[in-house]
Amino acid sequence: MSGWFCPEVLLVLTGVVLILADSLIPLGKKGWLPGLALVLSFVLLGWTLWRSGQPMPPSWGNLFVTDGLSSVFKPFFVLCLLGVTFMSVRYPMGKEEVVRAEFLALPFFSTAGLSLLASARDFLAIFVALELVAVSMYLLAAFHRSRVASLEAGIKLLVMGGLSTGFLVMGIAWLYAATGSTDFSRILLDQAGHSASLGFLLAVGLILTGLGFKIAAVPFHAWAPDVYEGAPTPITSFLAIASKAAGFVLLLRVFGFGAFALDSVAVVFRPVLLTLGIATVTLGTLAALPQRNLKRYLAYSGIAHAGYMLLALGTLGEAGMGTVVGYLWVYLLSTFPVLIFILEMERVHGSADLRHLDGLGQRDPGVALGLALCFLSMAGLPPLLGFSAKLSVFTTLWNAGEIPGLLVGVVMAVVGLGFYLMPIRAMYWEREADAVPAQRFPSFLVWILLLAGFLQLLLGFQPRPLVRLVERSLAPSSTAIFQEK
Amino acid sequence: MTLSYSLPCLLGLPLLGVVAIALGAPARRTALWVSILNCVPAFLSFGLVLREGEILFGPQVTSIREVFPVQFRLGMDGLSLPLILLTLVVTLSAVGVARADVKRSKEYFLCLLLVGLGALGAFLSVDLFYFFSFHEVALIPSFLLIGIWGQGDRTGAAWRMTLYLMLGSLVLLLGLIGLVWAAPEAARTLDWRVLSETLRANPIRSENQYWLAALLLVGFGTLVSLVPFHSWAPGGYASAPAPAAMLHAGVLKKFGLYGLLRLALPMTPLGWKEISWLIGLMLAANILYLGLASLAQRDLRWLLGFSSAMHMGTVFLGLIGGTVLGLGGALVLMVGHGFSAALGFAVAGEIGNRAGTTWMQDLGGLAQRAPKLWFYLLVAGMASIGLPGMANFAGEIMIFFGAWSAHPILVGVGAWGVVLSSIAMLRAIRSISTGACSAALVTHETADLNGAKEIWPFAILTFFLFAIGLIPNLILGPARPVLERILQP
Repeated sequence: MSGWFCPEVLLVLTGVVLILADSLIPLGKKGWLPGLALVLSFVLLGWTLWRSGQPMPPSWGNLFVTDGLSSVFKPFFVLCLLGVTFMSVRYPMGKEEVVRAEFLALPFFSTAGLSLLASARDFLAIFVALELVAVSMYLLAAFHRSRVASLEAGIKLLVMGGLSTGFLVMGIAWLYAATGSTDFSRILLDQAGHSASLGFLLAVGLILTGLGFKIAAVPFHAWAPDVYEGAPTPITSFLAIASKAAGFVLLLRVFGFGAFALDSVAVVFRPVLLTLGIATVTLGTLAALPQRNLKRYLAYSGIAHAGYMLLALGTLGEAGMGTVVGYLWVYLLSTFPVLIFILEMERVHGSADLRHLDGLGQRDPGVALGLALCFLSMAGLPPLLGFSAKLSVFTTLWNAGEIPGLLVGVVMAVVGLGFYLMPIRAMYWEREADAVPAQRFPSFLVWILLLAGFLQLLLGFQPRPLVRLVERSLAPSSTAIFQEK
Repeated sequence: MTLSYSLPCLLGLPLLGVVAIALGAPARRTALWVSILNCVPAFLSFGLVLREGEILFGPQVTSIREVFPVQFRLGMDGLSLPLILLTLVVTLSAVGVARADVKRSKEYFLCLLLVGLGALGAFLSVDLFYFFSFHEVALIPSFLLIGIWGQGDRTGAAWRMTLYLMLGSLVLLLGLIGLVWAAPEAARTLDWRVLSETLRANPIRSENQYWLAALLLVGFGTLVSLVPFHSWAPGGYASAPAPAAMLHAGVLKKFGLYGLLRLALPMTPLGWKEISWLIGLMLAANILYLGLASLAQRDLRWLLGFSSAMHMGTVFLGLIGGTVLGLGGALVLMVGHGFSAALGFAVAGEIGNRAGTTWMQDLGGLAQRAPKLWFYLLVAGMASIGLPGMANFAGEIMIFFGAWSAHPILVGVGAWGVVLSSIAMLRAIRSISTGACSAALVTHETADLNGAKEIWPFAILTFFLFAIGLIPNLILGPARPVLERILQP
C-alpha cells in the first residue's frame, strides 16, 4: 500500500472530487465549492510538508525518484497551489461563473504534474508530467472566454508551449538515438568517460531549448509578458512562479544531478548557459524599465530573476545548484504577495496599471509598506531576503571565476534597483492626493502583505532556515521538510 | 559578559522607536526620546571600551564550511567608538532640527531614525554580512527623504544618489566576497576581526591584493564621494532636507572611510601601497577640482555640499600616509568633519526655513537680524576652514605631518585645499553677514533661533567640535592601539 498516499495521487483525486462535486450538486448550491477547494489545498499542503519524502508507488517503476530535491520542491508547488486557489476564490469570474469548478480543479491536476516533474528521473516521465501541466495551463489561460486578452494569452501559450514541447520531444528522440535509453542513470553510465557524440550534444541543446521556453529565458521569453498580462491573474501567478520553478527543477535535475552531469556536456554547455543567463538578465532588466502595467512589469522582473538563476546554474557546481534552489524559494516568497496584491488591485481599480499605485503610501500605509518590502527584496537590497539570493549568485560566480557574468549581474542589479524603485516612488511621492477609489482594499490584504514584508526582513536578517532547505535539497536521500531523520 | 548587552540595546532602542512611530506614537517626541535614551547604553559601552579595549556581543565565530555562516555579532573598540559617538550626537541633533509640523511627519521621522539605525548598525557590526546590510538599510529611507521632502531637483538627486550608491555598494560587495574567499579554506569566516588576523598570517598574493584593494577603493570611494565617483554628493546634499543632509554628510559618508580603515588597510596592505599613486591623483582632484567648484557656488547648500565632498580628499591623504599619526589625523578629521558638516547643513536648513532661500546674495544682513544663527554658521565655516581649536584643525595638521615623509607634494596640495576652502567659506560668510537685509528676513517675525529649545541641536554639535579640537586625545587615546595594529605587518 505504501506510496499510494503520495501528494501526486491525492492532488489528482482532489481535482476529480471537485469536478464530481460540481456535476452532482444542483446549480444554485455551488457556493461552497471554492471554500472546499481552499480547505482541501490547505490540507494537502500540510500533508505534503509532512510526507514529501515518501517514496512513490512501487508499480510506477523506475520512472521516479524521491530525493532531497523532490522533497523540497513538492511543498513548493503545493504552496503555489494554495496561493492560486486562494486567488481563484477571490477572482471575479463574471458570466463564466457556471463552469467555475474547472477553474478550481485544473490547478490541482497541474500541480500533480509539477510534483511528478520534481521526482522524474526518466525523460518519458518528464514528458508526460510536463504535458499534464501544460494542457491544464492552456485551458486556464484562455478561461475568460469573453475577454480577447485572455483568449490571446491562451493561444500564445498554446503555440509557444507546443513549440517548446516539439523541441523537447525532438531532443528526447535524439537522446534515445544517441544513447539507447531515456533513463537518467543509464544515460550517465553510457556517456561517462568518453567525449560526447554530436547527436548527444544536439539532444542536450534541444532539451535545453524546450526548457528555456518554460523558464522564459532569452531568446525564448517573448510569450511571457503577453500571456502574463492576458491570463486571469491566479493563472498568471501559477505560470510566473510554479511553472518557472518547474523548469528550473528540471534543469537542476538534468544538468546538476542526472543525465547531463558530465564533463563532456559541461565543456560545451557551461558557456551556453552563462551566455543565456547574461542575455536574460540584461533583457529582463532593461525591458522592465518602460513597463506601465504591473503584470508585464512582473513578467520582465521574472525574466531577470530567471537570468540570475541561469547564471548560478551555468557554473554547474554544487554551489550553483544550491543557489538556484534558494533563489526559487526567495522568488516565491517575494513575488506571490505582489501577485495577490495585483488581483485585489484589479478588483478595485479594474486594471493593473502602475498609476493606480500613486499615493498608496498615504491611502493604505500597511499595504504600501508590505509591497515596498517585497519589491526591495526582489531588487536584492539588504537586509531583505532577496539580498541573500543575489549574494549567493555573486559568490558562486566569483568562485567559478566567471567575471563577465559577474559584472553584468552587478550592473543589472543596479539598474534593477532603478525599476524596482518605480512602484515605490509611485506609492510614496507621486501625485500624493490621487483620487481615493470608491472601493477599499479588503482588510486581509494588509495582513498578507505585512506578513510577507516582515518575512522578507526576518529571513533576510537570519537566512538560516532557507540555508537548511538548500542543504536538504542537495542531499541524495530524501527527508520531508518537517521530518527529522 | 552581561554588560555587553548594551550593544544590541544601542540598535534595539531606535528600532523600538521606529515600530512605535509606525504604530502611531507622536513622531518627533518619540524620535527625540529614543535618541536621548540611546545615550545610556552608549555611555555604558564607551566606559567598557575605555576600560577593556574592546567589547563583543554574540555567538562564537564559526568557519565558512557551514554553507552560509552569517552570525549576528556586534563589537566596539577604540576605532568604532568615536564614530558611534558621532552617529548618536548627529542623529540627536538632526531629530532636534527637524520640525514637528513637516508634512507626513510620521514617515519623516521614521526615515530619519532608520538612517541613523543603519549607520549605527554598520559601525557596530563585526560580521561582514551585517556590516554591509546595515549600511544599505539607510539607502531607501534617504531616497524617500530626498524625494518627498527635498527641494530643488529632488527627483533627479534622489535617483542619482540611490543608484550611484547601489553601484558603489555592489562593487564593494565584490571586494568583500574577494576578501573572504582569499583566506585559506579552513579559516574562512565573515568576522572581520578574525579575518584580518588570518590574512595577516597568510597574506593574499600581491597581484590579487592589487585587484581587491582597487575594488574596495572604488566601492568605498563611491560612498565617500571620491572624485570621479562624487557626482551624486553635492546635488544630493543640496536637495535633501536639512536633517537628512546632516545624517548623510555627517555620518553615512564616514562608513566608507571606516571600511577602508577596517578592511582595506589591514587586509590588503601591499595592494593599498601599490595603488596609493592612484589614490593620490584622486584625492588631489578631490581637493583642487571640488575646491575650485565650491568657489563657483552661489547657493549655500551647494557650497556646503561641495566643500563636504572636498574635505574627503584630505582624509584620504591621511589614509595613504602610512603612519599612525596620519591615520589618527584621518580619524579625528572624519569625526570633526562629521560634526562640522552636520552643523553647516543644520544652519543652512534653518536659514532656508526662515528666509525662504539659501542664495547667498539674498541673505545679506543675517548677522544683524539673526545673530545666533550667524554665530553657528561662523562656527561651521571656521571649523571647515580648519581654524585652530576645532576638531578639523587637529585632524588636518596631524594628517599633514603624518603624510609629509611619504607624500610631500600631496601635502602641498592639501595646503592649497585649506586656502581654497578658506576663500569659499569667507566669501560666503561675508556675503551673508554684510550688506542689505533681505526682504524675507526683515518680514519674518522670529528670524533668529528662539530660546534654548531651538538652540540645543546646534550647541551640542559646537560643543563636540571644540571638545575634540582642544583635546584630540579623547578620540586618539582609545583608538591608538587599534591604529597601530592596522599598520603592523
